Amino acid sequence: MKRFAFGAVSALVLAATGALAADYPAKEIQGIIQWGAGGSTDTVMRSVTPHAEEVLGGTVVMQNMTGGVGAIALNHVANQDADGYSLLMGAENPLLYKVMGLGEKDYTDFTPINLLARGTPVLVANPDAPFDDYAGLMKHIAENPGEVRFGATGPGGLPSVITAMIETVEGDLDVISVPYDGDGPALTALQGGAIDVMPAVLGAAIEGIRAGNMKVLAIIDNAKNEKLPEAPIVTDFNAAYDGFLPWGPFFGVFVKNGTPDDVVAKLSDAYAQAATNADFVELMDNRGFTMMNISGAEAQDFLTKWQQNTTWLLQDAGLTKASPEDFGIARPAK
Amino acid sequence: MSVLHDFFTVFLQPQLFLLVGLGTFAGVYVGAIPGLSVTMAVSILISFTFSWDVYPAISLMIGIYMGGVYGGSRTAILLNIPGAPSAIATAMDGYPMAKRGEAGTAIGVTTVMSFFGGLVGIAVLALAAPFVSDFALKFQPRDYMLLAVLGILLVGSLSSGSLIKGIFSGALGIGIGAVGMDPLTFTQRFTFDIPLLTQGISFIAVMIGMFGVSEALLQLHNIDLPAVRQKIDKIVPSFGTVKKHLPLSLQTSTIGVLIGALPGTGGDIAALMAYDHAKRVTKNPERKFGEGAIEGLVAPETANNAAVGGAFIPMMTLGIPGDAVTAIMIGALFIHGLNPGPMLMIDQPHMFWFIVGALVTANFFMLLFGLTGIKLFTKIVEIPRAFLIPLIMLLSIVGAYAVNNSITDVYWMLGFGVFGYFMRHYGYPLGPVILGVILSRLLDDNWRRAIISEREDLGRFFGGIFSSPLSTVLLITVVLIFVSQTPLWTKAKARLFKKEATE
Repeated sequence: MKRFAFGAVSALVLAATGALAADYPAKEIQGIIQWGAGGSTDTVMRSVTPHAEEVLGGTVVMQNMTGGVGAIALNHVANQDADGYSLLMGAENPLLYKVMGLGEKDYTDFTPINLLARGTPVLVANPDAPFDDYAGLMKHIAENPGEVRFGATGPGGLPSVITAMIETVEGDLDVISVPYDGDGPALTALQGGAIDVMPAVLGAAIEGIRAGNMKVLAIIDNAKNEKLPEAPIVTDFNAAYDGFLPWGPFFGVFVKNGTPDDVVAKLSDAYAQAATNADFVELMDNRGFTMMNISGAEAQDFLTKWQQNTTWLLQDAGLTKASPEDFGIARPAK
Repeated sequence: MSVLHDFFTVFLQPQLFLLVGLGTFAGVYVGAIPGLSVTMAVSILISFTFSWDVYPAISLMIGIYMGGVYGGSRTAILLNIPGAPSAIATAMDGYPMAKRGEAGTAIGVTTVMSFFGGLVGIAVLALAAPFVSDFALKFQPRDYMLLAVLGILLVGSLSSGSLIKGIFSGALGIGIGAVGMDPLTFTQRFTFDIPLLTQGISFIAVMIGMFGVSEALLQLHNIDLPAVRQKIDKIVPSFGTVKKHLPLSLQTSTIGVLIGALPGTGGDIAALMAYDHAKRVTKNPERKFGEGAIEGLVAPETANNAAVGGAFIPMMTLGIPGDAVTAIMIGALFIHGLNPGPMLMIDQPHMFWFIVGALVTANFFMLLFGLTGIKLFTKIVEIPRAFLIPLIMLLSIVGAYAVNNSITDVYWMLGFGVFGYFMRHYGYPLGPVILGVILSRLLDDNWRRAIISEREDLGRFFGGIFSSPLSTVLLITVVLIFVSQTPLWTKAKARLFKKEATE
């Protein structure tokens, strides 16, 4: 009887917190970070969230939950109640889970709170490499088939998408692809000469570039980057890239679908304000990230397009395990 | 002079001084509890110290780091449960000492030697960081692979008794480490379509189960035996003892700094390699290794604390983390508006000297907190078993859960605990299992990277090894150590010496 009473009371309390979204947040919010401590996603989330907490007037307890290219964290949040007390803090990877056979859920099961920023990919090389720009690299690969070592981070990672893009534009590349478990270790290997070329996000490579420990072959974008105004952009070498660009990884905060609208609105507002905080903006700029700060339909639209473009690019390069078509992902209009 | 000023920042500002002290104190206790790791503590601190200035935040983190690496030895000595993977080797001779009633001496030696190793690590960081990081960058996948093979050969020195059983344990460990989604290709390995297995098996859960739970189960056999009375009159080791072990501790500290400076290897591997080294070079230990040899404490404890200074070397010079904790500190520096990377030492040299100063301070605090409160700690071993065993179980469960906040890890931990109990019962050593799990990915990933880099051509692979002096030296070391462990070598040596004697 006692137990029943306890259950009934707690059910009441639960129902009450659900109904009174005006009181949100009435308890601690859990923020599940898809990637490990110290990585890009982790630092972005840990530096924006305290500003959002101030607006919300509540606490967000952040926790890193790694594994399965972020799928463990995504599934964890998907299994919680849609009450806005579990946030998923992640990067772009889940949009590729379905076609890469890594999971059955992706961001279509979630509502974006805020897409904070996006990164620009850049092609870097060891400073001693016998080529100095993108054109030189292509020539060198043609003359030395099967000799140039490209760093990779596994199927669906940024290097695999960039490599697929290059192969779509230039035709198949005869290079060796050496897998690392993240762009950090791969860029370390690049500086030590274990690999020659690495497609990486600008934010991870920028300090190494500034110090001259690696050189930029091309920025994978169709506009000059103000962080590296001298560096050539890839469309200067081959205009065919224009159709795929701009492309880049991004960081976002999500809640499970079905979360009450006013809770979503409250969270969106908090993160939108946090993302304009001067300290945060400067931090992102220093690291070469481009602020987006979008939410609602605009964010949803961005996610849909990103998924269409990237999954079909990988599909055409033969890197997927299942066709995007199987999941109703339409081929992007050319 | 500005260098001196930056170096003494911590001493000149009481607030920073106290924060380092507080961090070290907390670190010793966080480190002592299996499952509560320094990595976890530091990543929680990032959010906690978000609104602070960068100096106080870093002071606290450095204190926790230094204290935590040392703290792992406490439970290893007192309960045979390493508080952290880097204290596994410490348990092998520390616990036998506690069983003889010498826990106080063991903790004393451990503390002083950790302090010494820590100082060596910091000195190398302060004086030779750029050289060491250049050297560390030279390590190619094939070199990491050879290093892992070298590590596998430690099985011999970690298994007392049957070598065959040791090899079996090591292989089991490597197998456990391979379970889960392969990080390079995202292919499922040994998961049999069971979702539980896709995340892999938490290495910390295996460690806590194998050491903690199996120890508790084993102690059930003699639950009625009275607890060992601990002598605690001689805690601080005499100058003579320290001096005697000085050459060994210098060697093992060097191992610690180098292994710590390599991105991809850390204090755990350093400590095990140092233990192996001590076993090789110590000709006449006062007591046999595994039965409470002082050298068996000196080696891993100097090495894992020296690895702290080592881990800061690539972080400060290149912005590359030397281990998991420095990876988080790089994130912290970034959040506090600094740009960790190769330019940090040029743009902000004061940050470098401040960190060196904070490390030295933390090291002294570690000595202070390590040598006080021992009386209280050794009382743990004197608790009647009927209370101690449930306490160990509780600690193990909390620890295993805390790693990933996952109940699955607790099941793994309990399962491996029971399994470990039977392994011990039948004379299978547990050290090699943990060694196997630690080395599994290092060996596997780097072998694949190395052979893929050479277009899967063995000829080119060996060509690569012999074209690099570093790889050649590593390969020769591997071969020599392997041969020296086979019966062939003992026979050859015997014959060689006989000949010399007759001539």
